[in-house]
Amino acid sequence: MMKAVSVESGEASKAKGHGVNRGLSVFDLVLRIVAIVGTLAGAVAMGTAEQTLPFATQLVQFSAQYDDFDSFKLFVIVNAIVCAYLALTLPFSIFHIMRSRAGKSRILLIFLDAIMLVLLTSGASAAAAIVYLAHTGNTSANWFSVCQQYTDFCQRSAGSLIGSFGAMVCLVLLIIFSAVAISRR
Amino acid sequence: MDSKSTSYETAINMSETESTKQKSSSGAPIIATTKTISHNQKGGWRRGLSIFDFILRLCALATTLAAATAMGTTEETLPLFTQFFQFQASYDDLPAFSYFVVANAIASAYVVLSLPFSIVCIVRPHLVGVKLLLLILDTVMVAFTTAAAAAAAAIVYLAENGNSTTQWVAICQQFGDFCQRVSGAVVASFIAAFIFIILVVFSAVTLRRA
Repeated sequence: MMKAVSVESGEASKAKGHGVNRGLSVFDLVLRIVAIVGTLAGAVAMGTAEQTLPFATQLVQFSAQYDDFDSFKLFVIVNAIVCAYLALTLPFSIFHIMRSRAGKSRILLIFLDAIMLVLLTSGASAAAAIVYLAHTGNTSANWFSVCQQYTDFCQRSAGSLIGSFGAMVCLVLLIIFSAVAISRR
Repeated sequence: MDSKSTSYETAINMSETESTKQKSSSGAPIIATTKTISHNQKGGWRRGLSIFDFILRLCALATTLAAATAMGTTEETLPLFTQFFQFQASYDDLPAFSYFVVANAIASAYVVLSLPFSIVCIVRPHLVGVKLLLLILDTVMVAFTTAAAAAAAAIVYLAENGNSTTQWVAICQQFGDFCQRVSGAVVASFIAAFIFIILVVFSAVTLRRA
């Protein structure tokens, strides 16, 4: 009788473990979708940031685009890459919901997520450094803050950073949840 | 030697400890005994990965410390000065560089504090909670160090090339030594970030139950 009870409790705990894993996988899918939206919003917002000042001299017209800053170009490219990657791994996430004992694919996903995290963070923080510099300027290097003139451009580029940093937090959570799901098999 | 004696011990105590096993299978004692023996053999493989993990942590400590000190001790004073340029440059003139030093200092402090946890993981290869904690903090440190490295890299790139739209002048033509040293620190920080990624993958692999 003792053996029967222990086997029953084992099966119950296994079912509960599968339930938690399934919840984690569903949350994983939700986080991926949120991160896709974040990176897409960031890329689009930065890519369409453009401002032309109403006055112009004979020699030069004062206009600013994301193209003029190499960090912003990197930001748009990186956000597009991460968005495409997340969209391609959505089927993997759905597969993990259905089969919660998949170990090797989860480890591969953690590795790829970590690489995408590095890419996304570097793009976002490079753009953030330039945005901060544009807002405050720097007296030591004699770089003056351009945001007093290009206010729209500065606002747009700063807003696109928010989506990207939100997606970065989602990626960190994705890695953590995948690791927890691996450890609970 | 040690693992062999423990496997014999678990074989003898099979009937008492079977109910306390977390993943209880359909329990004939013979099947459970072979699973126990293979579990102890696979402990050696985990132990090797944990030792490599510890060595990588030492490397990460070296790189983050090198990055922080290389950035923190750069200072260049030009022997001449003009009316338009300031003649001294140090890391705290640019807030991105100050953040770089702080972030790498925090990362190296974290690696120092995680070394005893790593040693515990070598000695006992089946601890799940400690490994999970190390994995979570390693992931956070990946984000931290890449953010610091990328921000500093963006500023260095700007200092080398300037920007025509905003009329920002490339100051690296004057402060060449400063820019070189800072670029070296940025590279070291990126290497540290990749070491942290490898640490995350190792922790994930050893977290898997056999």
